[in-house]
Amino acid sequence: MDTTQLLKGVLDLAVLAALRDGDGYGYDILRRLRAAGLDEVGDASVYGTLRRLFAGGFLNTYVVPSDEGPHRKYYGLNAAGHAELQRSGKVWQGFASTMDDLLRERETA
Amino acid sequence: MNSTAQDEITDYVERVRAALADLPEATRAELLEDLPEHLAEIRAEDTVTLTDRLGTPEAYAAELRTTAAAFVGGFPDPPKRRFEPLLEARADVLRILGRADVKVGPVIGYPKASDFLVLLRPAWWVLRGYLAAMAVAYFLDAQSSQVGLLPRIGNSTFVALVLLTGFIVVSIAFGRRRYSLSRWPRLAVQAGTVVLMFIAIGGFFSADSDVRDPGYSDVGYSGNGNPYDYIQDVFVYDNQGRLVPGARLFDQEGQPINMGNPYCSDPDTGEVEHSRNMGFPFCPEAAPFASSAPAAAPAESVPPTLDATPSSPAAPTKTPKEPTPTSASPSR
Repeated sequence: MDTTQLLKGVLDLAVLAALRDGDGYGYDILRRLRAAGLDEVGDASVYGTLRRLFAGGFLNTYVVPSDEGPHRKYYGLNAAGHAELQRSGKVWQGFASTMDDLLRERETA
Repeated sequence: MNSTAQDEITDYVERVRAALADLPEATRAELLEDLPEHLAEIRAEDTVTLTDRLGTPEAYAAELRTTAAAFVGGFPDPPKRRFEPLLEARADVLRILGRADVKVGPVIGYPKASDFLVLLRPAWWVLRGYLAAMAVAYFLDAQSSQVGLLPRIGNSTFVALVLLTGFIVVSIAFGRRRYSLSRWPRLAVQAGTVVLMFIAIGGFFSADSDVRDPGYSDVGYSGNGNPYDYIQDVFVYDNQGRLVPGARLFDQEGQPINMGNPYCSDPDTGEVEHSRNMGFPFCPEAAPFASSAPAAAPAESVPPTLDATPSSPAAPTKTPKEPTPTSASPSR
């Protein structure tokens, strides 16, 4: 099992979490995820996930002009995004603790 | 951003798009919508090429594809459509037309070809009025066998002109008010337009064939319908009974009459070769009547050569175009 497979299931949650601390544009969010330790995450995954979350109504977006270089498209959590982050976060924590328990039982058994 | 980077981005996006060709159009469009801008952001971060930073477009597409798969809060499923293949085909056709629109436009001096077609709208309204009048006249006036170019009812040109004017006026008024129609009336108008187009195309080709073949008789169709079918060569004699070489035949319109078969068979060898003579007869040596030499024209009014065919006393002088049928198959 490699992290890439695991990441697929939680990428939405990871991106939502990365946006909790503030709006960001695609490359910015990728940097935040990598800084948090998710080294395997690729740019296409972040971009695709942002598009999908936006299409799902969890994000708002706006364009910020940039002096040097192209305009940047910023994404931020809206109310639905915050709610989804809460809900998915709980699901993940429940799942993670179940997995933890399972692994611990196997180790002690 | 310089144009090289722009080209690089465009190229990258196109290759990603190609690699995602099998995805439903809506999903693909959703995924790719912001990609050029996003890649521009990335390109601006660094001086390395996109491929160096992101991997090949194909790998990028593969990764992007996994994010399109359904998981938490996935893409909202596009509403199920009943005629998916038809709609996809329609989208393809529209895309091709759109491209042609932009390509053809500059050739005729417009930004887009459709800009020009929009200018033609009033012309179409007039044509539509004419076609509708023709269709109505055609169905109302069933007993008249031949349809002309005017919507006549009972062979009355006056009625035709009134009808034509009325339909054109209605069609123009209708064309200017078209946008206020609701859905079903609009569909009805479009369906009517399709019917009119079929009638127009049918009428056009029918008129075209009538013009090209005005006789429209069964000449040449039934076995004994055309009395000139058997003719292979034509021999013209003057009133002195002399064979006229290189004769040309014309009808009352000045159209050349082409009949016969410009091939001669050599009586000795039986070899068939193309005639070297311009005009009739193609094969003078096969003349049915021995012709007296032009220099020694006989004085008699009745050619002496006619002795050979007593059954047709007046043939050469009265009907020079048709050597008497009794001496059939002259070239054989």
